[in-house]
Amino acid sequence: MSHSPSSSVSPLRGWARFWSSYPGLAPQAITCRRSAAEDVGNGKVLTQSLRIVREISGVSFQLANPHYRKLEAYAAENRTVISRTILMLLFVLLVAGELSAQEADIAAQEEAAMSAAVDRVAVSVVRIETFGGLERVGNVLLGDGPTTGLIVSEDGFILSSAFNFVRQPSSILVTLPGGKRTAAKIVARDHSRMLVLLKVEHDEPSKVPELVPTDEIQVGQWAIAVGRVYDPKRPNMSVGVLSAKDRIWGKAIQTDAKISPSNYGGPLVDIRGRVFGVLVPMSPNASSEIAGVEWYDSGIGFAIPLADIQPQLTAMKEGKDVHPGLLGITLEGGSIYAKTPTIAACQVKSPAYEAGLRSGDLILSINGVSIGRQSELKHALGRMYAGDTAHVVVKRGDEQIEADVQLVEELIPYEHPFIGILPRRDGEGTIVRYVYPNSPAKAAGLKVGDRIVGIGEQQPGNAVALRLAVANFEPEQTVSIRYEREGEEQAADLKLARLPTTLPLILLEDLAPDPSDKNVAAPKFIQIKLPEESSECLAYLPPTYDPAVPHGVVVYLRAPGDFDREKLLTRWHQHCEDDDLILLAPQPRDKNRWTPTELEFVRKTVDHVINSYSVDRTRVAMFGRQAGGALGYLFAFRHRELARAVIAVDAALPVRMRLPDNDPVKRLAVVTTLPKNSRVAPRIEQGVEMLREMKYPVTVVEMDESRDLDALELEEIVRWIDTLDRI
Amino acid sequence: MSNWVDTVSIGLWNCVKSIQCCVLSTQYAVPGTREPSETRLYRSAILTFALLGSALVANQSHAANEVQSFSSTVGSVQPKMVKLYGAGGLRGLEAYQSGLLISADGHILTVWSYVLDTDEVTVVLNDGRRFAAEILGSDPRLEIAVLKVDATELPHFELSSAVELQAGSRVLAFSNVFAVATGNEPVSVLHGCVSANTKLSARRGAYVTTYQGSAYVLDAMTNNPGAAGGALTDRQGRLAGLLGKELRNSLDNTWLNYAMPIPELDASVGQILSGTARVRSEMAERRKPIESVDLTSLGIVLVPNVVAKTPAYIDRILPDSPAHETGLQPDDLILFVNDQVLNSSKQLRSELEYIDRIDEVRLLVQRGQELIDVSLFVE
Repeated sequence: MSHSPSSSVSPLRGWARFWSSYPGLAPQAITCRRSAAEDVGNGKVLTQSLRIVREISGVSFQLANPHYRKLEAYAAENRTVISRTILMLLFVLLVAGELSAQEADIAAQEEAAMSAAVDRVAVSVVRIETFGGLERVGNVLLGDGPTTGLIVSEDGFILSSAFNFVRQPSSILVTLPGGKRTAAKIVARDHSRMLVLLKVEHDEPSKVPELVPTDEIQVGQWAIAVGRVYDPKRPNMSVGVLSAKDRIWGKAIQTDAKISPSNYGGPLVDIRGRVFGVLVPMSPNASSEIAGVEWYDSGIGFAIPLADIQPQLTAMKEGKDVHPGLLGITLEGGSIYAKTPTIAACQVKSPAYEAGLRSGDLILSINGVSIGRQSELKHALGRMYAGDTAHVVVKRGDEQIEADVQLVEELIPYEHPFIGILPRRDGEGTIVRYVYPNSPAKAAGLKVGDRIVGIGEQQPGNAVALRLAVANFEPEQTVSIRYEREGEEQAADLKLARLPTTLPLILLEDLAPDPSDKNVAAPKFIQIKLPEESSECLAYLPPTYDPAVPHGVVVYLRAPGDFDREKLLTRWHQHCEDDDLILLAPQPRDKNRWTPTELEFVRKTVDHVINSYSVDRTRVAMFGRQAGGALGYLFAFRHRELARAVIAVDAALPVRMRLPDNDPVKRLAVVTTLPKNSRVAPRIEQGVEMLREMKYPVTVVEMDESRDLDALELEEIVRWIDTLDRI
Repeated sequence: MSNWVDTVSIGLWNCVKSIQCCVLSTQYAVPGTREPSETRLYRSAILTFALLGSALVANQSHAANEVQSFSSTVGSVQPKMVKLYGAGGLRGLEAYQSGLLISADGHILTVWSYVLDTDEVTVVLNDGRRFAAEILGSDPRLEIAVLKVDATELPHFELSSAVELQAGSRVLAFSNVFAVATGNEPVSVLHGCVSANTKLSARRGAYVTTYQGSAYVLDAMTNNPGAAGGALTDRQGRLAGLLGKELRNSLDNTWLNYAMPIPELDASVGQILSGTARVRSEMAERRKPIESVDLTSLGIVLVPNVVAKTPAYIDRILPDSPAHETGLQPDDLILFVNDQVLNSSKQLRSELEYIDRIDEVRLLVQRGQELIDVSLFVE
């Protein structure tokens, strides 16, 4: 009550004096009322007004009220102070009385405002029907009911959610807001925001909705989701608020209105019926058309701001798909929320490389937004499309380097280069332990015992750094290599080759270990028990284990059916002892099947071994037969940071698996058997082809019938595992 | 300040009321006219008092008749709700649901379900009183039932004064969802709005529901275990609908939140109460004609039905057939038959079985990007 009259003055005269001394209040009060209306819609204004009345004794509210202004105009015309004073008093009474009713009536006004908002946008919301196509995708049983779209141009372009077309229908029909049915076709797709642009041919011009300007979008505003699936004549609606901006790596806004197939593709509008964006299912962890559908009606729903898509519409109208933009860099492994965005490898021929970025650079900012963690980099890039230019500032040593990088849709698949050596494992990592015959290293004259001190411009200090340095090149490139031999530095140029895909039995004869003289009397599995996990996990730790010698890990994923653990041990224990391997055999919950949910359990067992023993991370291999092999593939592609190899016996790459790009830092090599006369052969061949297209090194072991590996084949594969630290 | 206003307003109330009637005639005549200043002063005073009076009168009546706070609305509805306990208790089958009182003498409207499929259905009123309920009757098509408990002078809803709602209407839903209310605890209330007013197209498990009438699709999480038989009201607590069982929307395979409008149920409840047996033929079943249309008689050969949802593409047109005469062509895609949308060629075949050979067959077909309406007669 800071503006209230002092108690010695009677209320009437006090207000009169107040009025005469603050004539300038009126415009302010009006401004206040208008901004409140813009922010929260009709209903909330009354609450606001009530507050204003209480704070400044009703004066400003009266002035802002059109009824009062009418009266005031009349009083002014009559120029009587008394009438004005009485007027004022009475109006306060009127307003106070009115307010109690109005406050309780807010619900009615909100209801009316929301219906009006839906009516307003309804002229731009179409109903979509699709014909033919799939019944389910993955685990999602698809409906065949109508879906929704939003008109975005007068000449008949309509945006909708890619989810609505995941069935791959053979025909699409659009019912325009006026009721006219017309055929539609998909013109282009937005693979970043999972939207689809449709085109319909018709005579009447379409009504384009009004947008909420980007700077007016505020968290906490009313947000109404609109679809047209139940009633062709009137849209269905769901009411909520805007929960967040800048979600899903900067691509979406979030609402708690109920978002589901009944409004995917429809607009999210404000209380005035202006459009925020197009409703889509979305997930921060996956990017397929159906990702995020599991969150329907959960209070977590997403919309793509129309303002973000509009710059892409020109290209899309011409039939060009738009894609997420890629830089072509690989970051150091670890939690993206903790690690700094240091470039671990910069792919040759990638836009980042062409723009001058190199491995070792620390990214400081993107487009003026400073970046501290890898997740922030992902956020800054997530919203960008292929073709957009990112202004990147990096720190290299003591200098800052700026580069404009034009993002691309697709990177040329990366292929690992090969020098042809095995490094020593004793910490003197850049000393050559073995030189592959017919390799670039052999041709350049490298010998066992040479210490590599430089490759290109880099000076790696250990095997990990050497492997990383080599990863910045590609096969066929010529690099200079510097090495020390007997205290003397020498240099040579070598033309990089590809990682070998033959098994090394003969190759490595001279490296083969002496047959173990320590005969283990009775090898035994130990049990690894993990908290909160009921499944058991067997492990064989060779008695020769020495923490000073990093060991490789073979994760044995058994085939479904009966399992003879003694036989497994008999086959493997000698290899474990000879090659410094730890054998890990996690068991499925149900002996007859593996389920994908057990991947987590397998990961925990691997983590446990890595944390408990001295493990050489370059030699962690998934070895699986039949369903175990498929699980091995799933594991390796989900946990690139852990698995370096997959050995699949009688097992094909799981169907519909989206292969991640080959990664310069996280190497992955594959050995698969190909039983030529078995039913699974075509699927295995198809998988091999896919892997090779993505430039993964794949070794194929041919056999006639489906069977387990014989002793010789196993021996070869174990030797191959032993060479996974090749460079 | 509000106390002060109240005192003054009561003081002014009587005099204001007396002059209120003359206001309507003078109110709009005054501005703009030029009169002697004493009159003006007098007039303006009258005018302002009059305006105040009319405003107050309006407010008072408004407040009395329509505007209640949500909490008083909720408080007035909850005594009309009951909690029902019966059969069930097995995995996934809850042994409870909700009901609403529809007479002072203990008649209860609820949804027919396995919960009632027992000799002992217990009703617990809002005040905690427990009764064994008698099942007066049920309507298998609407899946509703009327129960009776031995009590009098109960607060209740009048079915005849139920309101109808529009899409966008604010609503309250009362039910014992998840059985969180026990004993004399009032049932739970949820708020939301009507998302759409539509025909129900839903299924339970693999089966399409028997109730195919109109429904309010709700923008609130109303239909969860125990909610069936709950009340949907407008924001003033006036009854509008009965919450149904948990169903999946067959159009998009998501869980539905919905209520059946009371006017759809009113007649059936009346028949149950009066003991009039429902006549079987009233069930609105689609009937197949004795001689129906089929594809051969139309002269249409579709592409082979190879996948679950093979679209109804025309493979061949038989010569001298109705299809031939109307100019249908191979590769035309049939989208609708008599305004029924077709999701597969299988559905086209089954829809044709409902069309009598003497009736018109209207097809909407797509040829390239063109939509063509054709009308065929077999005979």
